[in-house]
Amino acid sequence: MRLLRPGAITEIVGRSSSGRTSLFTACLGEATAAGGVAALVDADETFDPASAARAGVDLARLLWVRCAGRRDAALRATDLLVRCPGFALVGLDLGEAAPPLPPAAAFRLKFAVERTGAALVIVGRRRVAGAGASLVVETVRAGLEWEGPGLVPTRLARLVAGVRVLRARAGAPAAGAAPVSFCA
Amino acid sequence: MSPFACVWVDFFAAAAAERCEPALREGALAVVIPAAHAKILEANAAARAGGVGPGMTETEARARCPALVSRPWVDAHVAAARAALLEAALGVSPRVEDAGAGVVHVDAAGLERLHGSPAALGAHLLGQARRVGFAARVALAGSRAAARLVAASAAAAVTVVPPGRERAALAPLSLAALALDADLAATLARWGVTTLGGLAALPREGLGARLGPAGLRAHDQALGRDREPFRAWTPPPFWEEAQELEWELDALDALAVVLARVLARLAARLEAAQLAAEALDVELALATGGRHARTVPLATPTCEVKPLLALLRLDLERHPPPAAVTRVVLGARTVRARAGQGGLWRPPAPAPRALGAVLARLAALVGGDNVGSPALLDSHRPDAHAMLAFAPPDEAGAEDEHRGQDGWRGRCSPPPAAVAAPPAGGSHDAWNAPARHGSPATPAADARTAGGADPARPRPAPDGEPEHRLVLRRARPPRRVEVETAGERPASVELGGGVQRVVACAGPWRASGEWWDVGEWAREEWDVALAGGALCRLAWDRRTGAWCLDGTYD
Repeated sequence: MRLLRPGAITEIVGRSSSGRTSLFTACLGEATAAGGVAALVDADETFDPASAARAGVDLARLLWVRCAGRRDAALRATDLLVRCPGFALVGLDLGEAAPPLPPAAAFRLKFAVERTGAALVIVGRRRVAGAGASLVVETVRAGLEWEGPGLVPTRLARLVAGVRVLRARAGAPAAGAAPVSFCA
Repeated sequence: MSPFACVWVDFFAAAAAERCEPALREGALAVVIPAAHAKILEANAAARAGGVGPGMTETEARARCPALVSRPWVDAHVAAARAALLEAALGVSPRVEDAGAGVVHVDAAGLERLHGSPAALGAHLLGQARRVGFAARVALAGSRAAARLVAASAAAAVTVVPPGRERAALAPLSLAALALDADLAATLARWGVTTLGGLAALPREGLGARLGPAGLRAHDQALGRDREPFRAWTPPPFWEEAQELEWELDALDALAVVLARVLARLAARLEAAQLAAEALDVELALATGGRHARTVPLATPTCEVKPLLALLRLDLERHPPPAAVTRVVLGARTVRARAGQGGLWRPPAPAPRALGAVLARLAALVGGDNVGSPALLDSHRPDAHAMLAFAPPDEAGAEDEHRGQDGWRGRCSPPPAAVAAPPAGGSHDAWNAPARHGSPATPAADARTAGGADPARPRPAPDGEPEHRLVLRRARPPRRVEVETAGERPASVELGGGVQRVVACAGPWRASGEWWDVGEWAREEWDVALAGGALCRLAWDRRTGAWCLDGTYD
């Protein structure tokens, strides 16, 4: 499933520990590995550079904007970034308590990315962009795998999640969830 | 091609004032020495047409020309204007000479292949002078003296003296063009010599015997001969423009208007010299007598006024002057501007100019320390990273070539804007600890879990689909939690207002560092799955005995 859609808004939603941030980080890795420049607006300062580097993100090509819990600043920063041509991906991590965007703000972002061609990916607990999003996927944790030499596990091996399409402008949402696993 | 050109600006002090306030060009202007009985130092053409001349008192001048506008003499304005004219000429020829205020000699030898005919070269010089705010005249001749005298008295904007015709071109000029001292001028007048041609016709030996070195110097000038060697002018390493304010400014909007004007002059100078600013130094003189100095680094060198003004405004909005402003000085740190072209197969990147403006706006919005590019530090301390100024590398993989031994990325300047943990390295003490994926930030430590493979590359999952990495959402700062243990293993965690049972856990992974320094740390980390569904990383501080939540795997 292709989540990076230039000139469109993609939302990745899901409960905590469902793999949504790992999925988003994989998008960042894909964008920067191709030589593109990405930006991450981090509303709650939860981004972990070490994890991201292991996930394949070229940190030198990543602009990290920390907003110290200020949702309004995060939205304004995103608005600035999506209006600057040249970013392959602009990520907005709204965290757990993200109120829905006003429709005007969502469509403002939508028109901006259509003009500049950036892919805007919004990560959060629930949908915030409404009809402004071209693609909405939900991650659902399917299981955890632990490893260890004995009976007692000593290592978290992987998290298995299902990715379900909630909204897709191009074509009907596929039924069921595609499995994705994240290796620890 | 005539080997020398002279750029001449009439009434230079007045022209310098007009350069600072272009609206003054419309009317009569006098530059006065600020004193109790102010005297006219210089007047522009319109004022002179109204009968105003140097040496008059301001009162007398106003009586003769009621529409006269006066401005005080400001050293900084004249010095900047003089430098601007020289720099403009430097954009045409690499050898220019400072021959006084408003007079620049240009060595034009060898420029014909670049500019064409002498008239075209003169027109180019004229355009350069106009670009920095001067209405000049240009003359080209075989010597500097001839070019200067012709330029000073010519009516046309560009005058070309054919080779070998210097004496004939100078002959009809009045003796006043030489600006001789009064005694010498009176003596020559008594002899009936009124033109340069008359002076040049006098026998040189007799002139030397009667008038001495001053007479010989005047004779040489009348013949169009240079007595002094050409002294090439080198631009100073600093570029500065200043503006005195007639009244105090305490509003940023009003100050921005002045900044725009000063910036336009500075940018014109830089453009004429084919340079770009990589940083701007702003110095504001305050009404309290103090100074407010700021340095605004630019993401990309530029000499365009609009983005420079936007960056200056944003910086002053964040760091406003503490009192009203009485004087503005802008300095530029310059670099030679080089044109570049993006790679054909590389994805487009933000244009440096637009990126610089966006970074400045983001810094104004969330603070400069919160905008940048994350960089991992060479330390085992959890969450050891630094925030560097954002400058994406031009070439893929170019960064690795510049990576230093200490793990900093190659962009050595500017220094890190913010460091989340001390850069001193920790040591990873794995006291019989199993290998894990977590805290060590070094690739070597990570490779223990990846079997030596590239940890960043998605590995195939058992079902054949590419497998991505599980990432951590950090809790900053780490949140203190209450943990009940069974033996050494966590059994329940008080989290989010309730107690949650641990359904599975793995650990401990022990690490410590900086035991040789004041920042000693030692901890045990556990990955725990809670009954509520959260998958967390807990850490037990071995020094304090406290538990904290490092973050959540998501």
